[in-house]
Amino acid sequence: MERVEAQAPKPPNKSNWISSYLFPALYAAIVPVMAVIVALIIGAIIIALSGSNPLVAYKELLIGAVGSPRAIQRTLERATPLIFGGLALTLAFKAGLFNIGAQGQLILGAILAGWIGYIFTDLPAIVHIPLALAIGALVGALYGAIPGFLKAYSGAHEVIVTIMLNYIAGNLTDYLSNGPWKDRARGNVVARTPKIAESAEIPSLGDILPFDISILNNIPLGAVLAGLVAIFVWWLINKSTLGFEMRTVGENPHAAQYAGISVKRITIIAMLLSGLLAGLGGAVETLGVNGRFEPGTNAGLGFNAITIALLARVHPIGVIPAALLIGMMQAGGALMQFNAKVAIEIIDIVQALILFFVAADILIRKMLRMRKSEGGLNLSGGWGGS
Amino acid sequence: MRKSFLGALLAALLLPILVACGGSSTPAAEPTSAPVAAEPTAAPAAEPTEAPAAEPTEAPAAEPTEEVAAEPTEAPAAGGAPTDDSNCADEAVLCVGLVTDVGRVDDKSFNQSAWEGVKAAEAELGAYVDYIETAAAQDYANNIMLFAEKNYDIIVTVGFALAEATAEAGEEYPNIKFIGVDQFHDGSQENVVGLIFNEDRAGYLAGALAASMSQSGTIAAVLGTDLVPAVVAFKEGYENGAKAINPDITVISTYHPGGFASGFTDPEWGATTAKQAIDQGADVVFGAGGNTGNGALIEVAGNEGKYCIGVDSDQWETVPEAHSCLISSAMKLITPGVTELIKAAKDGNFPSGVYYGDVGLAPFHDFDSVIPAEVKAKLDEINAGLADGSIDTGYVPAN
Repeated sequence: MERVEAQAPKPPNKSNWISSYLFPALYAAIVPVMAVIVALIIGAIIIALSGSNPLVAYKELLIGAVGSPRAIQRTLERATPLIFGGLALTLAFKAGLFNIGAQGQLILGAILAGWIGYIFTDLPAIVHIPLALAIGALVGALYGAIPGFLKAYSGAHEVIVTIMLNYIAGNLTDYLSNGPWKDRARGNVVARTPKIAESAEIPSLGDILPFDISILNNIPLGAVLAGLVAIFVWWLINKSTLGFEMRTVGENPHAAQYAGISVKRITIIAMLLSGLLAGLGGAVETLGVNGRFEPGTNAGLGFNAITIALLARVHPIGVIPAALLIGMMQAGGALMQFNAKVAIEIIDIVQALILFFVAADILIRKMLRMRKSEGGLNLSGGWGGS
Repeated sequence: MRKSFLGALLAALLLPILVACGGSSTPAAEPTSAPVAAEPTAAPAAEPTEAPAAEPTEAPAAEPTEEVAAEPTEAPAAGGAPTDDSNCADEAVLCVGLVTDVGRVDDKSFNQSAWEGVKAAEAELGAYVDYIETAAAQDYANNIMLFAEKNYDIIVTVGFALAEATAEAGEEYPNIKFIGVDQFHDGSQENVVGLIFNEDRAGYLAGALAASMSQSGTIAAVLGTDLVPAVVAFKEGYENGAKAINPDITVISTYHPGGFASGFTDPEWGATTAKQAIDQGADVVFGAGGNTGNGALIEVAGNEGKYCIGVDSDQWETVPEAHSCLISSAMKLITPGVTELIKAAKDGNFPSGVYYGDVGLAPFHDFDSVIPAEVKAKLDEINAGLADGSIDTGYVPAN
């Protein structure tokens, strides 16, 4: 109650695009970019201490991530679910909600999309793919709405509820992929769903474009979709009435209530949309990359999404470079290990350091002698209070 | 302001825990052996059991990076072994690559056992060998390709999760031989073989040993998730082997309920479950489930007069904390199996489809004098019976 600093956000001034978007964007990017650089430097020191050449290691990492069309494809494949997950987290953060349940929403979306993908065998792709994506997104949305509903009507904290729901989703998908939906193909002993029909596989850009531009051929359509969704989420948050209401609730629920916004309604809608994005991410992962649902293959995606959202400073467009960066590190890690003889764990260390410096941005700000963040991250709307 | 800071702090503290929970759910890990420390965040939880076993003779211990660096100079092979993989395309140069399942090559489990098999081939055949540690399931195909593009002659892939990627690579690279550890291959590809094991037989021997050593008439098995067929095979074999010795025996078998997410990485659950079994009168406990099973072994070690049996490899080497109870381990002999198949590939009599590796009980070590001669004789008899088919373990694979 004693917090007075948060006002309802002002609608952006339309007069000058550069001063209202570009400069703030560049300014906002300073901390994450510095965090990445500092993390890479510390990573280099660790690589050097372990007896390898950090420059060679990073060079191989880069080649493995963007050195060939195939490498770029792998990077994009890795980044795609992270973009969706990052957007899911971002959208919830904007409404003052911490959706740790992205993991559960994502795997439910992934398995449902896989199910739609294999039970229909004679649908045209133009129907099959959207149907599978829609069902995956829908399930994620419903699963995300549960904690939103509980938060709105009983005050149950979404962090606690979503952690529990993650366990339920994990065990449910384990059961389905080892029980009713198990792949009964000869020789298969493991828990997994059957391979999706060809008509459900998300193609690459090269497969659908009428003209032939070789660098575009390997771009997975899922990554394009992720980019478009990011733009849509940006619009939703910054340009729509609903987004305005969500931001207002996120910054100060009491003020929002006072201004006549239904905090309950916004809480449920924000969690529903967040779950929708996560479920869609899982669906794209199944239809575009894995080709089936298998327990464990999506492990950690929902949690990496937290890293992405924080690295992006909770900005929907920022999610794209953040996810691409993590995607590059994951895609290039194998070649770095193979050619530079650096343990693959270094990637996780660098990733953890980035998160550390972004979360503890005061360190970076001290280093750069920057002013205190303006309207910085408000990740804690519901803690203790409300 | 203060509140939001506290909130952020709490969130920051929570994260590693959550990541540890989520991150350690390694994709379709090998049956009973957990890929230890698949991610650094998961490591703390795994530490208790991840013992610094001092393997005197064959240990590749040390840091993997150093190890590889040191390799070329160490290799004592005849005729001067190749020192890098630039000549792998040459007919005379034998190059063997290994792709791990998610986890480390020194995991004291199946990745390490397979790698030791490759190392043995290095020493015996003068091969150039290297490995890639897989970080995520999406990397399987790419990691195999890294070796294939460098014209390696033989590629070993470890764990059933790589079966599909291995078969696809076999199509794409018909001149390369692929050995898939714990993988079923249908024999349609001449250059792909799956090295598999009758876990039920190893479990049967363990059950017979347990029933023979039990005073109370109650024994237990603490198991990883039943999503993994090998775990089920170990359990069924164990129960039937015990009943073959003592039809009235009570077997308390408990699967971990956590699925892939925590089934193999939960030593606390293993310890608690072992404790409960002991409270119910069990005096021999079979721990089959990676770190979960290791937790059970270590728990049993703290109880005087109780015995425990390990799994997969000789756990005398990998879980020294359990020395006071570990009478044997139900082993899958991955290391010799891999070496044999590499030799077969080199000699031109490479099998296709599936190749059954040996299973058996590990040495009794300190308990050699405790185990009566007639029990040992009975175990030998069972082993022979299993081999010639006169004894059936009663395990029927579900599929």
